Amino acid sequence: MRREDFLTEPVKHIKLKPKMTVNELINQYNMSGSFGAGRLATACDIYEKMLRDDGCTIYLGLAGAVVPAGLRMVITDLIRKRMIDAIVSTGANMIHDFIEAIGGHHYKGHWFVDDYLLYKYHIYRIYDIFVPEEDFIKADEKFIQFFREIATEFKDRYLATHEFAWELGKRLDDPNSILRAAYEMKVPIFMPAARDCEFSYAFYLHSQMVKPEETLKIDSFKEVPVFIDLFRRSERNGMIIIGGGVPRNTIQHAAVTARKGIDYAIVITMDRPETGGLSGSTLEETISWGKVKREANKVMVTGEAVMIFPIIVASVMERLGENFYREQHPKGGIRE
Amino acid sequence: MKDKENEKYCGNCSYHNAYEYPSKVFCTYRLVKGLNPVVSTLWRCENWTPAMDKCFCIEDAKKQSRST
Repeated sequence: MRREDFLTEPVKHIKLKPKMTVNELINQYNMSGSFGAGRLATACDIYEKMLRDDGCTIYLGLAGAVVPAGLRMVITDLIRKRMIDAIVSTGANMIHDFIEAIGGHHYKGHWFVDDYLLYKYHIYRIYDIFVPEEDFIKADEKFIQFFREIATEFKDRYLATHEFAWELGKRLDDPNSILRAAYEMKVPIFMPAARDCEFSYAFYLHSQMVKPEETLKIDSFKEVPVFIDLFRRSERNGMIIIGGGVPRNTIQHAAVTARKGIDYAIVITMDRPETGGLSGSTLEETISWGKVKREANKVMVTGEAVMIFPIIVASVMERLGENFYREQHPKGGIRE
Repeated sequence: MKDKENEKYCGNCSYHNAYEYPSKVFCTYRLVKGLNPVVSTLWRCENWTPAMDKCFCIEDAKKQSRST
């Protein structure tokens, strides 16, 4: 490269004006192209490309307590508008969706609080969010009822986690629920670590109340071929990762297994790569595994997802307009 | 003091969780036995087992019952 190749595009300074829309601000960030502003603007561009690409299946990975913190409706809207095709989530985020679907709440709290006092009042803390224990317990009560119903309906058949998620969604009547929307729109929610949350406690209670042969049977390996099939049938694959962890690697690993690689990648995280943990691993690192293609449109946005993700979605919704229509990808959705 | 130590209620039993704080608790022991798991905080049964750590359930349930 020549010297002048490094000095082609000057930074344009951000110009603000009253009543700017979200996308107008993002366009200003794009002009700057620098630091977090540049990455955020790039993420908006990449998501827009994913959505306008007729051959791209879009996977949303959810880790971290983003549903209790307020992203529930954002995700439900993305499902209903077909702006995502599949979700890979921690079980916990779906637990919190369920809690609200049956009338529970998450409360604005504070991180500077006497946690032992909360313990004595039966209140759980998620950073600066408070959740009353009774809302979890009422969810457990429903889970036990639903687990028994589902187990009775399916008898000895093992359910994949996306089937389990649909069965829960089928039994909820809250249109704002992620689980309900996913059931109605036939968007799969894979929960590879489904037992790593309140589902496990509810299952334990359920298992104490019925004979072993009458318990709910879930097999997270069952969905592996179903998930790989999505990648295989898709011309291109795009991922949006909130956090990282098991959901991120589930998506990336499927891309490798399908011999496809990921064509578009947005990762929103505050983790760092030095620990070797997946949540902070750079997208360049994923290239070495064949998970993300070298030529992929990709960006890692360093920031907190509850702040960042709605900005990306709002900006892209504005670009696409009210009448934007997108079909389910790959065509026909999942095949059992 | 001695009376306080001898207090045995659902609200300081290890099987309890909050249900309608502070008046009602959810008893997992009764749940798995097929009995109604929602009981008064100030009730108790013969399977009472001490909770590992004290909460405010009893204190607040008593305050509430006095005020109603």
